Parts: sequence; structure tokens; C-alpha cells
Amino acid sequence: MIMGAGVENSQARITADRVGKWFGEVIAVNNCSLSVGAGVVGLLGSNGAGKSTLFKMLAGLTEPNQGEVRVFGRRLRDEVGWYRKVGFCPENEVLPEWMTGREFLSLQLRLMGFDKAEVERRVAYWLERFELTDAAGRRLGGYSKGMRQKMKLAQALAHDPEVIFLDEPLNGMDPVSRKQSIDLVRELGEAGRTVLVSSHILPEVESMTSQIILIDRGRVLAEGSVTEIRDKIPEHPTTVALVSDDPRHLAGFLIGQDHVVSVGLDPDERVIVKTDHAINFYRTLPVWLLDNGLAVEEILTLDDSLEAVFDYLTQP
Amino acid sequence: MSEANQNTMSAVGTPSGNVSPLSSLSAVLWIAWFSLREMSRRRRLLSLAAINLLPVVVVLIVRIWYPDQGGTAQLQLSALTHEVFVPFLIPIVAIFVGVSAIGEQVEDGTIVYPWTRPVRRRAIYLGRLLAAQSVATLLLAGSLILCFLIMVSSGPGVITWDFLKLYFFTFLVIFLGVFAYVALFAAMGTFLKKPILPAILFAFMWEGVSKVPARVQELTLRFHLTNLLPQTEAPPDDLPGMLEALLTAAVKRSPVPEAQSVAVLVAVTLVTTAVGIWLLRQKEIDK
Repeated sequence: MIMGAGVENSQARITADRVGKWFGEVIAVNNCSLSVGAGVVGLLGSNGAGKSTLFKMLAGLTEPNQGEVRVFGRRLRDEVGWYRKVGFCPENEVLPEWMTGREFLSLQLRLMGFDKAEVERRVAYWLERFELTDAAGRRLGGYSKGMRQKMKLAQALAHDPEVIFLDEPLNGMDPVSRKQSIDLVRELGEAGRTVLVSSHILPEVESMTSQIILIDRGRVLAEGSVTEIRDKIPEHPTTVALVSDDPRHLAGFLIGQDHVVSVGLDPDERVIVKTDHAINFYRTLPVWLLDNGLAVEEILTLDDSLEAVFDYLTQP
Repeated sequence: MSEANQNTMSAVGTPSGNVSPLSSLSAVLWIAWFSLREMSRRRRLLSLAAINLLPVVVVLIVRIWYPDQGGTAQLQLSALTHEVFVPFLIPIVAIFVGVSAIGEQVEDGTIVYPWTRPVRRRAIYLGRLLAAQSVATLLLAGSLILCFLIMVSSGPGVITWDFLKLYFFTFLVIFLGVFAYVALFAAMGTFLKKPILPAILFAFMWEGVSKVPARVQELTLRFHLTNLLPQTEAPPDDLPGMLEALLTAAVKRSPVPEAQSVAVLVAVTLVTTAVGIWLLRQKEIDK
């Protein structure tokens, strides 16, 4: 199964081809292309980067000014029947204030075409799953921010869609609900669903997936795994920590080798190497070690976090 | 989330492979039913219900304090219909129920939920519109029924054929008026971000031209609603009354055929509904 972002078009469930959207003179999304297959993919970008606009275009809620989007190869806006296979959790907190939680969820399932018994079964299941059963008879206007988030998630998932758009789904959730929601997203990905989840909080995305699409100022900067993206930036040094029983000897050897920018020792006596080409460095390192009788117990990539990648890619 | 359910997601099964949208009629009815329940709980409905008690209070005052000076029940009902229901209550209820029926959902963003269901936008529009029209009709009909009960409480003698005829036509006018006005204001609410002021100007300024002479009257909904009502007028018994009657006769257009008025009201309902659906189809979520 092809997982994540940047898949071939034949396997992609979500595609965007040179999509652009602007509001007056403000360009919200600029010439974005992407393709997403099964699995969880994080759409990462700061506030105002264009994530929500891109989501709305992908979900058929907003028409792009240029380019085209497809889900299952279809334009959802024209072929509304395909919404049966799509779940959408919007970023904003709005819910129909005067409806109860149970009514709201029931209506959403009714409109999906489920019969009464199935609606009741699914409503009961998802209310229980999100621990909203006790609040089901209350109006949504009285729900806390976290409860509203959970209700939004429930309506997006209750019909068991194959493609799921989750726009900042963890906003306002308490730590326990956040952890459980992260687990749920991972579970959905493992079950073969396509989950496109956006966030401006990097650790959130990292906790859900390693497959990311980086977006900034309306442009897709990169897509793929964190490591792949990292390797697309050869001129940006990657920091690697090597644990060895003879760190000083190892450090001395590495100075001056190809793709090694700098070498140092940290307080834990680990060898800290900055390389300008991670793939070549990792490929050559075992050869160097074998040829020179050096031993390395552990290799750690210190800045392989989204934070480092994102900071680098979004630098003006 | 419940730990017990952590691994039971598959228990809900997979969605049907059918990707045909829900039938339009089913979608309209489900949306209308849930929207009706939602609208009936809004606080503004209490205000509208209170306004609709106005004719009830008037009839009650006449019944209690002026049992012999309020004219016949038929005249009271005629006065209420011509001076309260048609020019004031129907438009005011239609404005506050109509402009928010669809436009409010678009503005606050909650339209995103029905828009991401396998339901055509016209079904969403029609469902919300039907709910709004039902709410408005129930409010006005409730008021009229209370008026009727108070009027007939003085004895069976007030129930004449002319009274029942007027009562029936008042219901008809409320029904047609609500459908036309609510459809119009719903389309206005879908088009404009702040529709209340334009709607009020339309209802109480433009519609006021039914008081001026010439064919321009026929361009108002109020004219056609009034045209459907049987004429029940007390003969003027003083000089100012006679002068007013003369003036009214001078500016009054000959009524157009009733069928034409019904056709105009139905056409306004259909055309504004079609325009509203078209507007909703062009709408985008920008929040």
C-alpha cells in the first residue's frame, strides 16, 4: 500500500494540480500541487499559511481560481454523492448552537443515507467513543471548546469515510483527549484510510505521522517523509550524534571527510557531526568505520524534527 | 474517549459503496425536520411569539372592556387582517425567520456540515426554507386561532358565513404571504451579509406604496394579499370617516382578479426560491 504524500496519481485519492486561490490582492494558495494516497499525511504550516483554504478547496467547499482538485478523481462539488466517502472536520468551532449533540450527529448520519437503526447505533458508538454520551441531550451552544472539537471529529468520522480532512483537529482539547485523538488518527491511517490532518503545531503532526506536506505563504514547500524532505536540502547541514566508546578518536577521523561540515563533542561525550548531505554521509559512514576499525554504538539524527525542517524551509 | 472502545472502530463497519446522493425529497424533509426543531428553540422566536400576541391582546381588550363598542367580530377580524396581519405581522415574522434561514448558516460557517454530505445544495436550501416557512406560518396561524377563540367566546351568534369566509381567507393570505415573503427574504439573506435593514426597508417602505394610487401598487405583495381578502367595511357615520372613505376610493385601484394575485404570489415564491438556490450554489465557505 502506498502511504502518504507524493504518491503517483494512479494511487492518489486526493490530488491538487497547480491550484491557486486568492481573495482580492491576497494570495491564499499559490500554484499548489500535491497527491495523497492511503495513510496519514500532515499538512504543516504556520497560521495564515493557506492550510484551511487548501482544505476547503480539496473538500469542494471553495472553488480554486486556478488549477483543479480531485478526490477519488472526482470534483466533489459537482458529484456530491462522493461525500459519502469523505469526512471533513472544519477548523472553526462553529456548530449549530440550538441543536443537541445527539440531534446534530443524527442529522449528519441521516443525510449520509443511513436508516434509523444504523443512525442510532453509530450515534451511540461515537458519543461513547468521544465520551460525550452524558452531554448528548445538551445544546451544542453549551459545549466546551474541547467537547466541540470532539463533536466535530465525531461528525467527520461517524460514517466511516475513506478520505478524511481534519483541519486543526486538536485545538482546544485537553491533554488526555489530545492523546486519544492522536491515537485515533494513527489507527485510521493504519486501517488504510486517507487522513489529511493540518496543524501549525509541529509536535502534534510528528506524533500522528512522519508523512508531511509543508506549506508556507500559500506555497507547498515540500512533501514526503521528514527524512526525505530533510535530504532534499543538502546545503542545509544535518546534525548527527554518534555514540562511540572512543569518541575523540572518531571525531578526529571524521574531520575533513567528504560531506562533513563540522565535528564536535557534546557534554555526554557524543560525537556531534554536521553533514551537508545526509544520504551520502549515511551511505559512506559504515565504509569509513569498517576500513578504519572504528566502532559506533548508536547513530542519532538530532535535528530530524519537523521543527528544524520547518524553520529552515520557511526562512525568508 | 473511552478506553474500552479504542479498538472497536471497525465495529461501525464500512460505508456503502453507493455514492448516489440521498434522494432530494428525503434530504429536504430531513433537513426541514431538524431545522424546524432547531429554529423553534431560538430565543428570537420568543420575541416573535410575543409580537404575535398583539392582535390577541387587542381582541381580548375589546372583548372584556368594550363588548358592545368593538363592532362585529367580522369587522374586528377585517380590521386586524388589513391593519395588523398583512401590513405588519406577516412581513415582520417573515423578515426575522426568512433572512436567517439560510444566510445565517452560510455566514456563521455551519453550512459546512450539510455541504459535506451527499446532498445537493438545492435540497439544503429547500429544507431550510420549508422549515422557516413552517415556523412563520405556525406563529401567525397560532395568533389568528387565539383571536378566533376569543371572538367566538361571546357566543355562537358571531359565527356567520361572512365571518367564516373572512377567517378562511385570512388563513389563505397568511399562508401565501408567508411563503412569498419568507422566500424573498431567504434569498435576500443568502445574497447579503447584512440583510435585515434592506428587508425592513422593503417591507415597510416599498410595500407601503400600496397606499398610493396607480398601477405601481400591483408591484407590491401587500396589494395582492389584500386583494384576496373579502371587503368588509363599516359605513362611515361621521364627516372624517366619509372623507377618508372618499379619499380611499379615489386612490384605490380596481382589484385585479383574485387568480392573478394568487399567481403573482406563487410566482414570487417560486422565482425567489430559484434565485436563492442559485445564489447558494455560487456560495463558498470563506471562514
